[in-house]
Amino acid sequence: MPLRPRLLHPAAWWLWGLGLATAASRTTNPVVLLLVIGVCIVVVTERRDPATTNPLWGFLAIGAIIIAFRVVMTMLLGNGVHGETVLFTLPRVPLPEWASGIRLGGPVTLESLLYAVYDSLRLAAVLACLGAANALASPRRLLRYLPATLYDVGTAVVVGLTFAPQLVTDARAVRAARTLRGHEGTGARETARLAVPVLETAFERSLGLAASMESRGYGRTVHASTRDRRLASGLALVGLLGVLGGLYGLLDASAGGALGLPLLAVGAALAAASLVVGASRERRSGHRRDRWQWPETVTALAGAVPAVVLVAGSVRGWDGIIVTPAPGLPALPLPVVAAVLLAAVPAWLTPRPREEDR
Amino acid sequence: MSSRPPETPVATALGATPTGSRRVIPLRWPAVVAVAVVGVVGLFAFIWPFVVPAEVAIAHGNDAPWFFAVLIALLAVVCLAEVSAGRLDAKTVAVLGVAAAAGGAMRLLSAGTAGLEPMFFVVIVAGRVLGPGVGFVSGALAVTTGALLTGGVGPWLPFQMVCAGGIGLGAGLLPVAAGSRAERWVVAAYALVTGLVFGLFMNLWFWPFLGANAPTGMGFVPGAPVSENLAHYALFYLATSLGWDLPRGVLNAVLVVVAGPALLRVFRRAARRAAFDAPVAFEPPSEQVRR
Repeated sequence: MPLRPRLLHPAAWWLWGLGLATAASRTTNPVVLLLVIGVCIVVVTERRDPATTNPLWGFLAIGAIIIAFRVVMTMLLGNGVHGETVLFTLPRVPLPEWASGIRLGGPVTLESLLYAVYDSLRLAAVLACLGAANALASPRRLLRYLPATLYDVGTAVVVGLTFAPQLVTDARAVRAARTLRGHEGTGARETARLAVPVLETAFERSLGLAASMESRGYGRTVHASTRDRRLASGLALVGLLGVLGGLYGLLDASAGGALGLPLLAVGAALAAASLVVGASRERRSGHRRDRWQWPETVTALAGAVPAVVLVAGSVRGWDGIIVTPAPGLPALPLPVVAAVLLAAVPAWLTPRPREEDR
Repeated sequence: MSSRPPETPVATALGATPTGSRRVIPLRWPAVVAVAVVGVVGLFAFIWPFVVPAEVAIAHGNDAPWFFAVLIALLAVVCLAEVSAGRLDAKTVAVLGVAAAAGGAMRLLSAGTAGLEPMFFVVIVAGRVLGPGVGFVSGALAVTTGALLTGGVGPWLPFQMVCAGGIGLGAGLLPVAAGSRAERWVVAAYALVTGLVFGLFMNLWFWPFLGANAPTGMGFVPGAPVSENLAHYALFYLATSLGWDLPRGVLNAVLVVVAGPALLRVFRRAARRAAFDAPVAFEPPSEQVRR
């Protein structure tokens, strides 16, 4: 039975992306990492949020640049990996005494290159997962789920998001007007001249909006009693101090290292709780509210399974999770491959985005 | 009328406050403590490669950046909630929105020239005029808006939020009289220094990832003495990042020198028009009106 077209809940896609990113961050197996990137591309091709201009390619490009940069740097400067297989030898440049720690040129081994590629491929795969999450559900749709405590801050971000493209348009208009008057040129002085009229207009517009919001009773949907706010402040402070103490405990083993992690966790939980109790939002109807149904659960699980499998695998030390750079293909643990392939399931088991949103 | 109180709402709205300072979001002590704790944890999130014991660094060198990204994101959000707790009215939201929009637009415009971001210029001016509280919030929001606009929500975002928030906060705390002649140069110097320091810190979050894979003599060596790691990082910074950070710092400083005073005026005027902290007082109708 085909599913009715709709946008999936954004939180489901972000949970999926973060789960897959966690999985990718645990392994250096190039095959698994390429599989992760492939899964990201497939899912994004099938279920991209029509409102975005596919940021996945940007993230993949950053990943490719990281890999290329690392490979070039490894060739020129070497890295800490010593290998047997010398591919070729670059002419060695003698360096002065103070830079004796640095090697410029010299033999390039296959092992050091493979290490560079595997390690940067991991970073590229994590970035691909985040890029996929960005492409599948535009992060601004998540703004709706900010806790009520952050309602005002979220509104400021929405105002910013709305006005930023207008600012760019304004800047173009001012620049065009200046060109017509014969003022040409670029550089800091010109930018400075642009900034004043553009910002004046922005403030004009924004304060007008604020005045109209205030006269229409904006902000009355969030309730925050003094007691709630004090409770939230107290929780936040205790939580933050807990985090601080926990970090100190982790750092200094003699000061109770065993207490560090639990203290940190409790502190973080308290700080997070302060966001929830600080204010409550009035119940109200919403326009096109996102629903959480079984496809959302499937998506979140499809991200969680590889994360669990790979974390378990790296803790147990399975073969082929952390790969030693050597010629030839590394071992490929089947459960890991199956778990990563499972992450591609949302490409088919979720509703398609509506065509008219495109 | 001689019995008329000297301070009417109108007078205040026109900027006749005796102190002349306009702290849009006054920092209460819980917020100050929250900012301080987040500052300490944030600093630690950047400099941990230099201070953790060897066995921790070897065991967790690869998870620590992710761990800190999550932790810092949580703390930054809690800090934002504490600083803004229930005291943002519509006009403050509007001014913050413009600061965030300006930051985001700068990111859009400078998409082609990575690193040459004049964004901090706006954050610094906002923090300077509207106080450290707004400086922190507008710095964090400007980075967030830029990331949302360019679809670049990644692990670097929490670190950037803390850094940019700190830059805005510091601009609000600069010890120089508002509107004085020295202000322009002090703020310009601040822009130059923060441009460099931002790069210095932002590299640190991913530097441990390089691990053994960094060029010999530039990588993070878990368990090596602090001096050795610092020397390695200094080389890494000189070789990779200084080329981006120096032009950015100089660009921001030049912008402050050229446009700073005008922009400061624009922000001060907006703050005055928004009539922040104008007390609302209901007076009994005066004799004249009754007659």
